[in-house]
Amino acid sequence: MSQQFRSIWFWFSALALAILAVFLLYPLLNVLTGSIGSGGRNGWVTLAGDPKYLAAIVNTVVLGIAVTLTTTLIGVPLAYFTARFDFPGKSIVAVLPLITLVIPEVIAAQTWLMMLGNNGFITRWLGGHGIDMPTFYGWPGLITVMTFTYYTYIYIGTLAAIRGFDVQLEEAAQSLGTSPAQSRLKVMLPVVLPSVLASALLVFTLVVGNFATATILGSRVPLLSVLTYQAAVAEGGSDPVMQSTLATVSIALVMIVLFVQRWIVSRGRHEVTQGRGARAEKLRGLPGLVIGLSAAILVVVSLLPLGSIVVGAFTVSRGPVMRWGEWTTAHVERLVKIAPDPVINTLIYSAVATAIGITFSAIVSYLIVKKRNILTPALDYLTALPLALSGTIIGIGLIMSFNTGFLPITGTASIIVLAYIVRRLPFGIRNSSSTLYNIPNSIEEASISLGVPPVSTFFKVVLPLMLPAVAAAAVLTWTTTVAELSASIIVYSGGRETMPIQIYKLIDSNLMAPASAYGLVLVAVILIPIIVATRVFKIDLFSSKS
Amino acid sequence: MGIEIEDLAVAYGGQRVIDGLALTIEPGSFFTLLGPSGCGKTTLLRTIAGFVPAERGHLRFGGTEVTHLPPHKRDIGMCFQDYALFPDKTVFDNVAYGLRARKQAESAIKPKVQAALERVGLGHLGGRHPAALSGGQRQRVALARALVIQPKVLLMDEPLSNLDAKLRLQVRETIVELQREAKITTVFVTHDREEALAMSDRIGVMNQGGLEQVGTPAQIYREPRTGYVADFVGGANLVDIETRARQAGETGLVTLDGIAIAARAPAAIAAGKATLVARPEDILLAEPGTAGTLPGRIAHRQYLGGKTSYKVALDSGRVLAVDLQSGPHDRFEPGATVGLGFDPARTLVLAS
Repeated sequence: MSQQFRSIWFWFSALALAILAVFLLYPLLNVLTGSIGSGGRNGWVTLAGDPKYLAAIVNTVVLGIAVTLTTTLIGVPLAYFTARFDFPGKSIVAVLPLITLVIPEVIAAQTWLMMLGNNGFITRWLGGHGIDMPTFYGWPGLITVMTFTYYTYIYIGTLAAIRGFDVQLEEAAQSLGTSPAQSRLKVMLPVVLPSVLASALLVFTLVVGNFATATILGSRVPLLSVLTYQAAVAEGGSDPVMQSTLATVSIALVMIVLFVQRWIVSRGRHEVTQGRGARAEKLRGLPGLVIGLSAAILVVVSLLPLGSIVVGAFTVSRGPVMRWGEWTTAHVERLVKIAPDPVINTLIYSAVATAIGITFSAIVSYLIVKKRNILTPALDYLTALPLALSGTIIGIGLIMSFNTGFLPITGTASIIVLAYIVRRLPFGIRNSSSTLYNIPNSIEEASISLGVPPVSTFFKVVLPLMLPAVAAAAVLTWTTTVAELSASIIVYSGGRETMPIQIYKLIDSNLMAPASAYGLVLVAVILIPIIVATRVFKIDLFSSKS
Repeated sequence: MGIEIEDLAVAYGGQRVIDGLALTIEPGSFFTLLGPSGCGKTTLLRTIAGFVPAERGHLRFGGTEVTHLPPHKRDIGMCFQDYALFPDKTVFDNVAYGLRARKQAESAIKPKVQAALERVGLGHLGGRHPAALSGGQRQRVALARALVIQPKVLLMDEPLSNLDAKLRLQVRETIVELQREAKITTVFVTHDREEALAMSDRIGVMNQGGLEQVGTPAQIYREPRTGYVADFVGGANLVDIETRARQAGETGLVTLDGIAIAARAPAAIAAGKATLVARPEDILLAEPGTAGTLPGRIAHRQYLGGKTSYKVALDSGRVLAVDLQSGPHDRFEPGATVGLGFDPARTLVLAS
């Protein structure tokens, strides 16, 4: 044990732990303890007494279940047919994982409104033909938009599980006398099921934490995340007690689900035999056509927001009224000449957050994977903690903790950067550690045996090997922080709007065309690094995404 | 430079795996730690390297205390089972790595690396990356990388076990040649007894974290001190017997299943329980009833090319393994009755 304290890595771990305690644990404790106000006001009493809050909890759970079901119904069959069959147009399904990255939620919600909202071009076109669409706001909009936002999570999780499944097990079942369809049902389904359930529960937690879609489309349906946000930033005085109470409820909700998920995953941990993957069967004729067409429709619908954003950015508008079919470059020009600040803010904050976040993740995952000591299990748990916290909760925790006191950074750009870093921490850590697990310890020991001290060994030998993964993590962190809304909208202050915040405000004022102009820039800011990374530097962005 | 280990204790994962171990390795010699997996041989090697800390005791290289020196200051060369080549660096840069760490001038490094690569027969492959090499070539690069820095000691952790049989022989020869030539004190870890016997000046057989016996290959094979060593080094027949007290080197009669046979005690032994050791190739098969033989029946016969392996059941039901050189002698069919003959010089009585 005394050996541990002498090691420099122990002190690095202690430092990392201290940083996490200040910027993650302390804010979280503030959120959790804030539900009982200092003035003797108890948020839980208010919560129980006001039907609005109870309705919000029920609505959130119902929406979570509904979207989990719809995404599973789309994601699982899509994954199954992609993994096991060849059908016309299968290659376009491969672009699906990118869609979740490239389309920020706020843009997805906005573009669906431009299509199906009260002023949407589909609504208007149908109205012109005498068909009245029911309003898109509320349940129809929430479920539709969230389904198309989240079904790729189910698809990716299920696809990986089916691809990892050893077909020889299926062949063994057939050799023992069950029909092909039956053996698939009896042998493959149980092996794949835990992964499907795990990704379904992930979707549930994402729905509970979702802010952008919920607030843009859910005006008629009170939801936990929106009420929490409103309690935090309400005009004419925020309500710190209720923001904490509501945040605690959603943390509890997500925690329950994450425990169930962990339990399912641990139960379903079968010995993975490195077997033969299945060879895709060719689907010809009608079945091939049906499957191919369905997949194509899905992909097209998923990509519709991208097209709409381009159309919206160049469509003439007068206030909230969109003149579909008339074109202009005025919105983009206005953005560049008069109001480029949100773009510049976004670029600066995200660049700083990516640099700090990736460095911190690389060092901490090195400690967790390679330099285990009595502190590293705590590091491991703490860095995963933001997974259970929605952006709204992280934002609230940060303003509660750093408003006054020893680190008054509320109202500065630092707190936005901090919110970005905290939110993306688990993903950076996961990305770096999966590479580190693949670097054998003997490589480091070889370097040390040749006379290079441990810390320089890290820089000379380990870091170069981590570099491709670190670069991939940097791109992914960048793409997600530039699109971040739910935490930054709580911690930002006037003049520090980012693009997603600006878009949100414009949508709120029903100014779809200028919002589209920012959306276009935002998508470009996301797409260009991805294209450069994958095409120029040949970085595999998804190699370590599990 | 010799290695001295005194009263060494090592804990690993909360358990004390080595306790009170002492060992002296002669300067310039090739020493092998031999034992099954889990016996502590790799832990001992990694303690010598400094990757596993010693809880207690002393470790000296050439009389200099290194017990608490971190590994990068111990001036060791190390070869790993998985080669541990830096995948992003060329063969040349891999070999130059240790010299650069020693801040040598690039002009001095180049000829040294080239010479080291040529010495292992890879002078033309300096520009390649490890991924473009075969397993045998990779281990040669690792060897060149460890030797080019002229370390005080060379430590090798099962460097041959990832190679196929033919390459293993080739790399084995390269290692022995280079070691003899450079006269670097070498500690070699293996579970393969043939490797140990073929390469070593001396062998330490390990069992449960301790050294069971240390000696030359011939001593380990011919004069095992314990049944464990006899069995691990040669797959011997071990039989529990009763004996009277004997002096070292004394040859006398012992009773095996009621029949007296002659056996030698390599070390002094007290009266009581003992182990009779006979290697399969040291037992002869003769016609049944031949004088001085034990009656038995062939239970199983396996033809292995150069030799034939028999399982022979004694009247008591005990089964002994017997190997015969293939040829006119290995004519016994399963079920046949035979007489087993024991060579008094090669049948040993050891303390249990």
